[in-house]
Amino acid sequence: MAAIELCNVTRRYPGAIAVRDVSFTIHDGEFFILVGPSGCGKSTLLNMIVGLESVSAGEIRVDGQVVNDLDPRERNMAMVFQSYALYPHMSVRENLAFPLRLARLPPQEIDRRVHEAAGILEIGELLERRPRVLSGGQRQRVAMGRALVREPRAFLLDEPLSNLDAKLRVQMRTEIARLQRRLGTTTVYVTHDQTEAMTLGDRVAVLHKGEVLQVGSPRALYERPANLFVAGFIGAPAMNFLPARWTGGRLELPIGTLTVPEGWHGLARAAGSRALVAGVRPEHFSAVRPTGAVPAGLALDVQADVVEWLGADLFVYFDVNLEGFESPALPEESGLVRPGQRRRALVARMDPASGVREGDSVRLYLDPAQIHLFEAASGAHLP
Amino acid sequence: MTDGTGHSRTERLFWGAGSAVVVAYALLPVAWILALSLKPAADLGDNRFFPRAFTLDHYAAVFHDPQFPAALWNSVGIAVLATLAAVLLGMLAAYAIVRLEFPGRRLILAAALAIAMFPPVSIIGPLFNMWRTLGLYDTWAGLILPYMTFTLPLSIWTLAVFFREIPWDLDKAARVDGATPLQAFVRVIVPLAAPGVASAAILVFLFAWNDFLFAISLTSTNAARTAPAAIAFFTGSSRFAQPTGSIAAASVVVTVPVILMVLLFQRRIVAGLTAGAVKG
Repeated sequence: MAAIELCNVTRRYPGAIAVRDVSFTIHDGEFFILVGPSGCGKSTLLNMIVGLESVSAGEIRVDGQVVNDLDPRERNMAMVFQSYALYPHMSVRENLAFPLRLARLPPQEIDRRVHEAAGILEIGELLERRPRVLSGGQRQRVAMGRALVREPRAFLLDEPLSNLDAKLRVQMRTEIARLQRRLGTTTVYVTHDQTEAMTLGDRVAVLHKGEVLQVGSPRALYERPANLFVAGFIGAPAMNFLPARWTGGRLELPIGTLTVPEGWHGLARAAGSRALVAGVRPEHFSAVRPTGAVPAGLALDVQADVVEWLGADLFVYFDVNLEGFESPALPEESGLVRPGQRRRALVARMDPASGVREGDSVRLYLDPAQIHLFEAASGAHLP
Repeated sequence: MTDGTGHSRTERLFWGAGSAVVVAYALLPVAWILALSLKPAADLGDNRFFPRAFTLDHYAAVFHDPQFPAALWNSVGIAVLATLAAVLLGMLAAYAIVRLEFPGRRLILAAALAIAMFPPVSIIGPLFNMWRTLGLYDTWAGLILPYMTFTLPLSIWTLAVFFREIPWDLDKAARVDGATPLQAFVRVIVPLAAPGVASAAILVFLFAWNDFLFAISLTSTNAARTAPAAIAFFTGSSRFAQPTGSIAAASVVVTVPVILMVLLFQRRIVAGLTAGAVKG
């Protein structure tokens, strides 16, 4: 049990900075997620917390004690690796017992803890097997078990599910969440998958190029993304982005011009003539006119290019002509940037009962209150 | 035989015959020596391949002479110690080279390779003088040192290849599980590199066991003379008798443990250890 505090933590490599000036606090017992695209520094951050990599600058504190210079074995944290890192020359039992034997626990105690962990993870009948004969899911459980037996101050998980097939991944995801709730141990979980981040985390830190862009509950990240990157990274399908500008107190978009809510007028004056990006979540295009929206929303007629039917959801993709607008610079990882592009595909989430098919004309409504506005240059969310 | 149906048979015949030739070529001298060692002294010059009569006299003679058992003991001791030293140092060096980022890492590997290519005969003279000054001449250490030096590069390269195949996550997992760097190395990395350690050990042992050049130049008495050098000093039972039979018997005695060891370890290496051991 521990609270982990990061203060201006930086990690430099020769010629590169992997983690830049990161500060946040992971509360005692919290399920904390580090999420970001590959190469954003999230694994480096995890390795620094557990002590496998040194901290170039800043401080890491566990329960108020600075642990920067402590050896990993003095930190008493357990880690689950993406590759599971089971010792191939040891049986499952020996794998589970390894950290306890290093800690010189009495044999009966080792036995008791191994059996307890095996019971929790339902791997009791695998104890005498070697890792190489286990399936991916079983290896994953053994890796979890080896972390569990230690009764550590914190669990650190480095993309523990990314080597599993899709179905098993969802199942293990639920199990990890249940386990963490049951044990109440502080958990730091690294992933590049925003779905895992959203479903598991009490709080999520979004990393990009070694910097923390936003820390918050999954809901806060989804509803109030701090910038373009977070907006594009969180949510699937990704948020739609369109270039935008102010014209005479109204917001002009490639799909039409909107009257904005009262509160935005100050914003409009502040923004002046700067380039803006408007973001709309797919579910905020609606097939029915929003009732009571003031000012009235925008209606647009589009032609469905591609229709994805997923049973509970229907995603309708349509093209928008960007003629006359500057293409805004979007975060690369959102997959939306193609410089010089004159058209952009947008997606709307609709009710499958609407029965829209490819090639159909659809009338969509957009409630202005649901639009996110970003400054194109800095990517910052405008309040 | 050139039509389509006969092709695979021709091919099998070709490979079979080829293998037979190679095996015969390699084993013929060994068989010859074995045959010589079993012939009675009078038959040694009888121009026959197969002995007409069998005798173990030569073996008895070799072991009765105090020279040969002493040499055999020197050979075993020196080869084992040189192997231990080269493999132990090689393991530490290879692990550092594979896992640590330090300036001059590539240089060390290149230098090791350069040492391996260095012709040993060119340093025999200086080494002889140095060893005499330092008191290492005609001692075990005087042979162990050059054997270790000349096999260390081989040992480092072999072990580096094996260490490189062990996922780095395993070292890290062991460290997080509470192991000191040394514990992680000894309890996780070394067992996994066991096939590599075995192959390196075999190579070093063979080098030391078979060496004639250093052994003949740097020893003078039974204190450190190894078997290959001792065989060269064999004399016949009388001043006028050729020692051919004794030499053959001693050669067989020296060769058999090597063949046994290679067969034994080869089985171990090929059968058990490499198969999926590293890829957990």
